[in-house]
Amino acid sequence: MKINPAFVEKILTSFIREEMGKAGFKKGILGLSGGVDSAVCAILAARALGPKNVIALIMPYGKGFGSDLDDARRLSKFLKLDTRTIDISPMVDAYFKKHPTDKLVLKGNKMARERMSILYDWSAREKSLILGTSNKSELLIGYGTLHGDLACAFNPLGDLYKTQVRALATHLGVPEPIRTKAPSACLWPGQTDESEIGLTYAELDEILERLVDGRESEDEVVARGYPRSRVARIARLIRKSEFKRQMPPIAKISARTIGHDFLYPYDWNK
Amino acid sequence: MKIALAQISPVLGDVARNLDLHLETIEKARRAKADLLVFPELSLTGYRLRDLAAETARDPRSSREFKALRAAGRGLSVIVGFVEESPEEPGLFYNSAAFLVQGEITHIHRKIFLPNSGMFEELRFFARGRTVRAFETPWGRAGLLICRDFLHLNAHYLLFAGGAGISITVSAAPGRGVAGEDGFATSRMWEVTGEAVARLTTSVVIYCNRSGFEDGAAFAGGSFIFDPFGNLVARARYVESDFLLAEIDPADIRRARRAMTFKRDDRPEVTLANLERIIHRDED
Repeated sequence: MKINPAFVEKILTSFIREEMGKAGFKKGILGLSGGVDSAVCAILAARALGPKNVIALIMPYGKGFGSDLDDARRLSKFLKLDTRTIDISPMVDAYFKKHPTDKLVLKGNKMARERMSILYDWSAREKSLILGTSNKSELLIGYGTLHGDLACAFNPLGDLYKTQVRALATHLGVPEPIRTKAPSACLWPGQTDESEIGLTYAELDEILERLVDGRESEDEVVARGYPRSRVARIARLIRKSEFKRQMPPIAKISARTIGHDFLYPYDWNK
Repeated sequence: MKIALAQISPVLGDVARNLDLHLETIEKARRAKADLLVFPELSLTGYRLRDLAAETARDPRSSREFKALRAAGRGLSVIVGFVEESPEEPGLFYNSAAFLVQGEITHIHRKIFLPNSGMFEELRFFARGRTVRAFETPWGRAGLLICRDFLHLNAHYLLFAGGAGISITVSAAPGRGVAGEDGFATSRMWEVTGEAVARLTTSVVIYCNRSGFEDGAAFAGGSFIFDPFGNLVARARYVESDFLLAEIDPADIRRARRAMTFKRDDRPEVTLANLERIIHRDED
């Protein structure tokens, strides 16, 4: 779980610069939520590209939930990012006025996809590439909205567990309130990741690291003293969310099929 | 000799459910009075396993699933495809097929030619087998190959030279090309090869493929049996699941080898001498 944050910063800023350069872009764009993942990503982008080349979109639903809106604004100001604030409540409310639901998850997904839609619109307006901010913990258990917050051009944080993102945040000087607040997907008021997942990130990451990086079987992890129900649930979440980590399958019928045997590197012709 | 080909669609990565499917199918074959039941390649695990290869691997001597298969397999012979890992070689996973006679494993073949181009990536996940060996069965000497092995001439020759009169291939061959009249274009390749091998080795050629989709790739089905004269005995449906029952006469092997004396006239020592020369680059 331990990382050398200075070295990770070096790798990730190089990665951001290189991805931009290869794709022929100078500017990056990202959604700034007020949470630690997007804060870390914003700082990395600012250091890699210069703050003028980083567009931060703050997209609260109305006045937002809790202190996130203020934290996001303060951070973008402090980092001197090119910042826009766009309230997503008119779009989201217009939709749910016509198609009401009381399911919070449906509303949350709609908000995540509304933000995605705006991010892609602004990335085209500003000729900028979208930086993803999903961390390894979320990606592995599928705690993200497909075509919502999971959508991006490239993702510097996807191989860092939440615990490691926090270590990097401390190193990068992410302000205290952002670092210490309870992580939340901000899909509804009072929501926190850890209450929804039913585990703290520290507990989750420890088991994920054993299952994934350590290639340990569920039985082996349980034998180390972790509760079986917890290990089994995490393993099930990983299995159930594979579809969020891959492109959808294409029915192969021809001699050469995209994704099957039409295989080029992502960096093709860059 | 009554042969049953189980052209099934295993559940990818779910050994428990696939075991149930095997046990049901064995019962079906028993009721149909089949002498030999053939399952496709990796029938216990599914094909496109990737990292699941390590997690679905079994030691056939000790695994619970093989215990169940051995118990169920009494009264007939069964060929099962699985991922093999033995305690002698921990961390090495073979794409294997086991031949069970009356519930006892009499032969295991480890796939030798692992396809690793285009849509295939078996070398990333499997270790390579090294041996092609004909073995005794209740119907005479036979040989077992897995999928791509079938498309390598030397695999057939080694079985032929080793005395096999029945050549069995288990397969998980996806289909490509949809311009033809029936089935995928690639099914022709397997059928033409099957007929040619039956004729050239004067052997019964049994080919059991699978059905279903995995990650979008369709398996082509079309399992078949050729007699030692190269006549098509039976063919299963293309693409869909099927259970093919067909009768062959092992005495045809003798008849074919009297008529076409390829086996009598074969000179493996000439082959060996020439291979030695080729391998050691001793040009003439």
